[in-house]
Amino acid sequence: MSTPTSSREVRVLYTEESTRLQKDFAASGNGRAVLGQRTKLLERIICSLWQEHIAAHGVAPFALVAIGGFGRSWLFPHSDVDLLFLHESRATEETYKAALRGFSQELWDLPLKVSPATRTLAECERVNPDNVEFTMALLDCRFLAGNHELFSRLHDHVIPALVQRDAQTLLQKLAEITQQRHAKYGDTVFHLEPNVKDVPGGLRDYNVACWLWLISAMEKLGTWPDPITLLPLPARRQLEPALEFLIAVRCFLHFRHGRDDNALSWVDQDEAARGKIGIDKQMRAADWMRVYFSHARAIHRLTTQLLEEIPAARSSLYRQFQNWRSRVSNPEFSVVDGFICLPESSALEDPQLLLRLFDFIAQHGVGASTTTEHRVQQVLSSLAAMPPKGAELWQHLQVMLLEPYGADALRTMHSLGVLKVLLPELSVIDSLVVRDFYHRYTVDEHSFRAIESLQELASARSEWEQRYEELFDELERPELLLLSLLLHDTGKGIGTEDHVQGSLDVAQRALARLDLDVSDREIVLFLIASHLDLSAVLRRDIFDSATIKAFAEKVGTPERLKMLTLMTYADIKSVNPEALTPWKAENIWQVYIAAANCLNRSADQPLHADAEDEHFDRLHALAPIAGKKIKNYLEGFPLRYVRSYPAEEVLRHFDMAQRLEHAPVQTTLKRGRHWYEVTVITRDRPFLFATIAGALAAWGMNIIKANAFSDEAGVVVDTFYFIDRFRTLELNLPEWDRFQRNISEVLTGKADLEIMLRNRMRSENGTPKVKIDTQLDFDNDCSSHSTLLQVIAQDQPGLLHRISARLSREECDIEIALIDTEGQMAIDVFYLTSTRAKLTVQHQGRIKAALETELSSSVLSEFRAKSG
Amino acid sequence: MTKIEAIIQNSKLDAVKDALHEIGVEGMTVIEVRGHGRQKGHTEFYRGREYTVDLIPKIKLELVVADKMIDQVVNAVAAAARTGKIGDGKIFLSRIDEAIRIRNDERGEGAL
Repeated sequence: MSTPTSSREVRVLYTEESTRLQKDFAASGNGRAVLGQRTKLLERIICSLWQEHIAAHGVAPFALVAIGGFGRSWLFPHSDVDLLFLHESRATEETYKAALRGFSQELWDLPLKVSPATRTLAECERVNPDNVEFTMALLDCRFLAGNHELFSRLHDHVIPALVQRDAQTLLQKLAEITQQRHAKYGDTVFHLEPNVKDVPGGLRDYNVACWLWLISAMEKLGTWPDPITLLPLPARRQLEPALEFLIAVRCFLHFRHGRDDNALSWVDQDEAARGKIGIDKQMRAADWMRVYFSHARAIHRLTTQLLEEIPAARSSLYRQFQNWRSRVSNPEFSVVDGFICLPESSALEDPQLLLRLFDFIAQHGVGASTTTEHRVQQVLSSLAAMPPKGAELWQHLQVMLLEPYGADALRTMHSLGVLKVLLPELSVIDSLVVRDFYHRYTVDEHSFRAIESLQELASARSEWEQRYEELFDELERPELLLLSLLLHDTGKGIGTEDHVQGSLDVAQRALARLDLDVSDREIVLFLIASHLDLSAVLRRDIFDSATIKAFAEKVGTPERLKMLTLMTYADIKSVNPEALTPWKAENIWQVYIAAANCLNRSADQPLHADAEDEHFDRLHALAPIAGKKIKNYLEGFPLRYVRSYPAEEVLRHFDMAQRLEHAPVQTTLKRGRHWYEVTVITRDRPFLFATIAGALAAWGMNIIKANAFSDEAGVVVDTFYFIDRFRTLELNLPEWDRFQRNISEVLTGKADLEIMLRNRMRSENGTPKVKIDTQLDFDNDCSSHSTLLQVIAQDQPGLLHRISARLSREECDIEIALIDTEGQMAIDVFYLTSTRAKLTVQHQGRIKAALETELSSSVLSEFRAKSG
Repeated sequence: MTKIEAIIQNSKLDAVKDALHEIGVEGMTVIEVRGHGRQKGHTEFYRGREYTVDLIPKIKLELVVADKMIDQVVNAVAAAARTGKIGDGKIFLSRIDEAIRIRNDERGEGAL
């Protein structure tokens, strides 16, 4: 190329060379070559214009310096050309003002987007906290023309001195800017249509990594380090392919869009995959995006690690926090500067230790150090040869899911390839882009975010978030909900038309691998199958009772309703940051409370064993021979009964009911995660519910929930969920038998409940922390044959026994009892009859008066005093 | 040109969108809103707490149409959103002086 001598020649040269570069790129796909050649082209043009506009007036006393992307020879086809006019003093700036205007104008007319900055040497010595980007751009400075001596002073003295003096400020500012940029993009690499420059893992992150390293090195050396040592060798080797790929993609986007537009839209993805941009062979756009994500992930990981590892990049407060976090170290895992390190002797080949590592991350929210990550990746093949599975794997997974940073642990497992070894079913959604205008993230990231959004409820701030937090706290099996969220969109990865059905198919395999109990599987599959149902209701009239009733009936039980509500909340919230508007959150809540009330008010809907119902189908499948007997047993129970228990449990009840002829009280006792559960099956009799509640109170048990159901033949199934306040059962295994035996003795009159209660009440002297006013509400319309009574009262020892005993004394039969506790508030719903009919208004009045007296604080004190 | 603002029930959004597409109206803005006219609010009790919704969730549609389309659009929206009960919503019309397509600075009805 000859040197252009006139403005016209410059323009012709620029146009021709730009066209040639585009053609060369289309043929070779070599982004690096574009950057190098375009930088050289611009250097020639700029130097030529310099000669024409500046040097023609004599030797220039100032310097022309390439900074920023131009300085590091990274000129993308349409990126800005950053130039610095470096002056000794303001005087030369004034002298050359007109000439510089002409020089810049020529560049603009090419047309080039020039970002010129004019500074004196003295101005370059200071960091402007409001424009730290300028100082960063100086780190890539390169001489172009003019006063070389002035440039040398900038390069050799001013910048090293500035960095040595202000390294702390620079690093902290750089960390802040980077965090703000990451936050703008949701702190994730996994965008469906990423901006390849600015998203986490984009080219800007690579620059940040280089700057962090450079500033850190200059601070130590006091001068420019050897460029070859700019990044550690392993990091450079690892990042080189990622960098080549991203550079090629950004060049492709600039050429394709004809401007500095770095958004990789779906159409661009198709075109890039077809054009084999950054790759050797043609592939589907979804697979090409997986390549993109793997590279972006590598860059993101390095940047975030450097941000953590370079101490000065963080405030002293942050450092103190990290040091404080080192206290969570244990003999297996040490936390150093906020990262988990393993002792040399650790055998990560042991899958148990590996899983404990992720448990540790889930518990404390600390990341793994680079070395630890490397060691994990080294044992992947041995893990794949014999992966933990079944109950062992589920045990670890559920612990992890329930920890406050469970989603972080899953992400780490996923990025290191561990998750798809343990649950290969998830590999179908790995970095999966689904083209949906509503979603912003890949399917795997969406699933992790959904889990995270529930874990974040622990720090809920808004009123409506607190409601969902309360709901989450009430769940008996939150881990099943979190597992459902992990699997709910896997169907999107197998290309079926109906992704819900696809997810069910994938989930079936995953659940079999985890060897979940049948009843747990049912819950997970129900949630996955129904995960769009509540959203569908939001598109109906949510105040229409028929809509709510149909939805509530489909859901079946309050526990499932709570889970589905939270699933909908989490699913929508993780679609994109704006998806869960307060409008939607409020509507979901309205549907929830309306459906919850509907379930409570239709709890006595009778069951007909011939009716078509998935629960009966399951029961018949489990016990085909006993079919007719089961049918007889179930007849007359409310529908709520079969929906409240897994089919296996109902069969167990049936077996127990068959033994009532030999032993009139049958009991089972189980320990759950939150509480114990005792089920009593016996013949109905006066004061039955009150007596069982009293027996539990006498043992010091705090009843959290209870269900009471009876059939037409008078068989009663009462289940009480309670907390063992004094750890009697936990610490004394023989007490399990004595506890169950004692319930039988109380029910058969062999033990005196009054004496037991008196003994217990002597030691009860707690004062409630929150005062709850008693509320009593009757509803005679919601059931065809019972009167509903809702009691809200201060929770206290023996409360349920006293309420139910009082109801029995007032000649009421408790057909169904739905007992719940929220903090210090007891919320009890009773379906009452008297002589097999609804209660009259007068009867309701008497009961109300009796209960108000029973629950008044003075009576309670009297009761305690008598007991004492 | 006329701006048509329609407040409709959430459940009627799909039906109204379909009706508008059928008569060739493609562009519209959909906003989640709360409010009430003569329709009373709704109260639900849950665990002893009263949840009153006096501002009922609705959908607001905004579209600007050429004057010759007004009747057709209003009829399509009204027919698709109507249940005959209180709470079906309202349609408001107002004059628009100018429309500008940002991409190419096209003006007037051509920009719609």
